[in-house]
Amino acid sequence: MSTPVTTKPAAAPATVKGGPGPAQRLTSYMPLIALAVLLAALTIADPEFLTQRSLTAASRTAAPLIVLAAGATLVVLCGGIDLSIAALASVSTVFLALWLPELGALATPAVILVAAAIGALQGVAHVLLRIPSFIVTLGGMSIFSAVALVVSDAGTVRVVDDSTIAWLDLYVGGYVPMSLTVAVIVVVLISVVLKVTPLHSWISATGYSESAARLAGTPVDLVKIGAFCVSGACAGLAAVMLVSRQFSGSPTMADNLLLPAVAAIVVGGTAITGGHGSVWRSLAGALVVTLLRVGLPIVGVPSAYEQILYGAIIVAAVALTLDRSKVLIIK
Amino acid sequence: MSVHVDQEPTTSVPVPVPALEVRGLVKHYPGVKALDGVDLVVRQHEVLGLAGENGAGKSTLLKALVGLVRPDAGEIYVRGEPVKLRSVVEAANHGIGMVFQEQSLVPNLTAAENIVLGSEGIAVRRGLYRWNAMRRLAQEQLDKIGSSIDPLARTDTLSFADRQMVEIAKVLRIEERSQHPPVIILDEPTSVLESKEIETLFEQIRRLREFASVVFVSHRLDEVLDVCDRVTVLRGGQSVGEVATAGAVPGELHRMMIGSSGSDDHYHGNAAAPVLAEQPRLSVRGLSGKSFRDVDLDVAAGEIVAIVGVHGSGREDVCRALFGAEPTTAGEILMDGKKLELPGTRAACAAGIGYVPAERKTEGMVGPMSVAENMTLTKQKARCSGPLVAPKKQATLVDSWISRLSIRTPGRDTAIQRLSGGNQQKVVLARWLVGGDIKLLLLDHPTRGLDIGARSEVYRLMRELAGSGVATVLLADSLEEAIGMADRILVMNDGRVAAEVACPNGGKPSPLDLVKEMV
Repeated sequence: MSTPVTTKPAAAPATVKGGPGPAQRLTSYMPLIALAVLLAALTIADPEFLTQRSLTAASRTAAPLIVLAAGATLVVLCGGIDLSIAALASVSTVFLALWLPELGALATPAVILVAAAIGALQGVAHVLLRIPSFIVTLGGMSIFSAVALVVSDAGTVRVVDDSTIAWLDLYVGGYVPMSLTVAVIVVVLISVVLKVTPLHSWISATGYSESAARLAGTPVDLVKIGAFCVSGACAGLAAVMLVSRQFSGSPTMADNLLLPAVAAIVVGGTAITGGHGSVWRSLAGALVVTLLRVGLPIVGVPSAYEQILYGAIIVAAVALTLDRSKVLIIK
Repeated sequence: MSVHVDQEPTTSVPVPVPALEVRGLVKHYPGVKALDGVDLVVRQHEVLGLAGENGAGKSTLLKALVGLVRPDAGEIYVRGEPVKLRSVVEAANHGIGMVFQEQSLVPNLTAAENIVLGSEGIAVRRGLYRWNAMRRLAQEQLDKIGSSIDPLARTDTLSFADRQMVEIAKVLRIEERSQHPPVIILDEPTSVLESKEIETLFEQIRRLREFASVVFVSHRLDEVLDVCDRVTVLRGGQSVGEVATAGAVPGELHRMMIGSSGSDDHYHGNAAAPVLAEQPRLSVRGLSGKSFRDVDLDVAAGEIVAIVGVHGSGREDVCRALFGAEPTTAGEILMDGKKLELPGTRAACAAGIGYVPAERKTEGMVGPMSVAENMTLTKQKARCSGPLVAPKKQATLVDSWISRLSIRTPGRDTAIQRLSGGNQQKVVLARWLVGGDIKLLLLDHPTRGLDIGARSEVYRLMRELAGSGVATVLLADSLEEAIGMADRILVMNDGRVAAEVACPNGGKPSPLDLVKEMV
């Protein structure tokens, strides 16, 4: 430090205005509260629900959703959105099913790498061509779905020998599904990496105020491309989980996970405008969404109503969490 | 020239009640008093000029007049009646309308559609546009101001001057809401116009006087004197004087705007003149960009060079270009004699250049992030060991800067948006100091929106940094500030460097020396 700077302390007291109010504190615990309330409600509706068997089944369903939501959360934290995750996961299930016979154990890392590269490509298109992420990934979604249909001949690709991915279908200690364990590890990994490196500062700054981040010399473009890359990789990993459970790949296998994944992110309380949020929140959000999903039949609602519920959740969660004082014009 | 403060001429003829009167208007923003008891009288059928430096309170006053800002104290009278203006619509109902600085027309609609937009009246029946009625309505408005613009022309095909006419025609529709002559406010209407177009606009304003009162705001004092009957000068949120324009000269007006005190003493610490090395730290040759051409600029280590110029002189863009935030088309930038390529802001940061933007809240800081994160946002290495953030190193570093700059904050983890403006600015400045490698600081209005106490702390900090060898480029908030702080002043006019004025301690130029180069 070569700059000798000393300024005489002034007498005026520290001026500080408005910290987080009680209402804000409450919304920050919203996903956990929702989770507890849901668990209690479902247990009352069906005392059988709180058993090891149904919880295990529920957590197995949750795993791919957690992974998808965690990856896409990074893009949302940067202030963008990734609508292509489900379609990218679907096409990845097809690739995996097709590559397993030849590549064997290498097929899994290969699929994740390819998905990551595709994600990064979308990031590059977003950053270099200056197209809104919403449009880039909407286009991506359509393209990936079509590619999946073409390479799979519009049908399910069966996996005959699943020995190299069967480990994902095992249980840790006999109860905890391996896929859930992997999903939680992914969340921990992302969150730890963010915490111990400057990445957290960079991502938050980019999401809260891109112009301020740029003028501070933050590598905004790289951060965004990186977020899309991780989002893609997570879609690839989710695809591996799906294939290990279904013993096949299909061009539409993960398509119905897009809305639940977005719902998980916003229910978790990550701001759709960027900056505020975390992957932990999305983990909690994904569990809430999963409980709703498995809980609907228990309370007697036909599963056809599921999509209505997701739509309503997304709108309601954003309505509750959006800080409108920061957004002048809502587009 | 006659200068008289708030004195109505005593005549036997009863003075007509003013069209609009403002008494003791006060408006506080956090950390700053934008209006501090301002008084204003707009007589019927007169063109009143409003003059004042940046931050004098002009825009806040105008916004209060059209209901966009609610004053904390004070009264507004329309034709002698006290009124409360809570929205643009209420202001329009009282016959007050404003032509905004940023043009408010929708570019892909016709002039006629724009004119009726928002108060369609007979142009809409049963939810449907009646095109003929609309065109008639628009034509009537355009006839009022004697304009020959085709009401069916798309707005984006019109020249800036014609768009201005359409705006005026649109604003005149408030006549339909009130039986009295309206008050039309023109906020910097000439900033985008060519000189020929300005002449047309002035004719228009003189014509408006026949049936309306006009408040005219411009940075260009010659224009104010040309078109106005009377000028009210604002300084520091107060009206400091009125000038009848007949026979007045821009220099006199400017002296009132900046105050008679000249350059104030509190700018100077105990600063010695900088010791200039043979080779300047920053050397710019022939730099050209979108809004500036052929800019040459040298700044030595330890020197503070201020760039002054009116709105639109291009000095902000030069500053951003030196930080790689604005593209350049020609010219070169040398740091310590070495050529510097600045494709983006990261390259500039790596070269030891720091930039404090004028818009602190949106560009300078990231509000919800902590003091520590904001302070270390650029120089991540200063808080990391290897690729990892070292919490202890960060705490020591940030705390030491908090105490060195006496930043008043509950702690390093407090969100920066909870601090006062001056303390926020100190954190933004500290961002460039924590790396210990700062060579050149670009300060774009570093004291904007700060109160006197915070200002002098920023001044002291600038002096100390210069004393330690940092080269500084300053875009000052006022001429006074530029003269007080700078060792040398560059005057920019219309994208070019018009003059260079030495500004040593004991030999400071007067603001008027600079003004004559600025306009």
